[in-house]
Amino acid sequence: MKIKISKQIIYLLGLSIILLILVLLFSFLVLVPQGKEYRIKRSIVKKQNLELRQLKDFEFDTQTKLKKLTSDNKHVIGAFKNKFDEKRFEKQYKKYFQSLKLSKRVKQKKQDTFNVYDVNTTSSINSPKNFYDFLDAVNKSDWIIKINFPIDFQRDSEAIKSSFTIQVYYRD
Amino acid sequence: MKYSYITPRKKSFFTKDFQLMFTFFNVTFLMLFITYIFLLFRSYQFDSRAQEIVLTKTETSQSIEKMELYTDKVTKEYLFAENIFTANSVLKDSITNLFDLVPNRITLSQAKLLENGLILYGITPNEDVYNFMLAAPLRSVFNRTYSSFYPAQNGWLRFVSTNYTDKEKEELNED
Repeated sequence: MKIKISKQIIYLLGLSIILLILVLLFSFLVLVPQGKEYRIKRSIVKKQNLELRQLKDFEFDTQTKLKKLTSDNKHVIGAFKNKFDEKRFEKQYKKYFQSLKLSKRVKQKKQDTFNVYDVNTTSSINSPKNFYDFLDAVNKSDWIIKINFPIDFQRDSEAIKSSFTIQVYYRD
Repeated sequence: MKYSYITPRKKSFFTKDFQLMFTFFNVTFLMLFITYIFLLFRSYQFDSRAQEIVLTKTETSQSIEKMELYTDKVTKEYLFAENIFTANSVLKDSITNLFDLVPNRITLSQAKLLENGLILYGITPNEDVYNFMLAAPLRSVFNRTYSSFYPAQNGWLRFVSTNYTDKEKEELNED
């Protein structure tokens, strides 16, 4: 028995094979490499996203810590920015002394990154208690002040004359 | 002479079989092309996202660096201020202790507090009172204590007590 294959079917088969080859070529030469690239890029973006999220979390933690630190140390931060004002100092702390006089401030060498001023004071107090109260108050003052040695107390009839140096620290 | 009663149909290349094959390949190509376009679009999106992430990461890193620098600055300021506040408090305690140390029978006329020492000027009824009631506690606090006396007008003795702490010894004790 002879199977007759018409020319039309042969053309159709030929065309189908050519188209199939085209499909395969497109798939393997274009689509598959593009798919591979897509997968690589997806994994890179996924990894980068994860890193970014970790970085953002770290940023949030750092920000929270900084906020807490600044709110806890508002007084210190502000005090380091304040420039020393002799008149204001005298006005604020005169209540602890019978008399309080400040000499001209002298700029000293920088300590770490802090500017330092030396201010000599001469004062007169009724009792050492006044001086203790002054020392307590100075830690809460608008400036960062260190009472420096030498401190001299001298009896002067009913009062005590005192002279000491204060060091004022501030940052530009 | 006709052998058939019907007129012959015109033979066309676009037969039903061809149409079926054509549709099949068309759909296949369309699907493949759509997939390709999808992959291209997503790759472009990933590229843009990757660039965006790199930019955001740089900005975030800079922001973190700034915050860390500021945190360091504030911490340094805080520690520095704490040291000063502590020094002031210690000074207050030292002065309190000094005045508590002086017994009622001895009157101080002047006290000089130095960084590593103390000089006291005063008046005492006699040398023994000074030695037992003031010099002894001073000796326990300072490494070197020197005293000198000279008579006052009322028969009492004026004294000068010079006391020093050796820094090296103090450091050794701290160790």
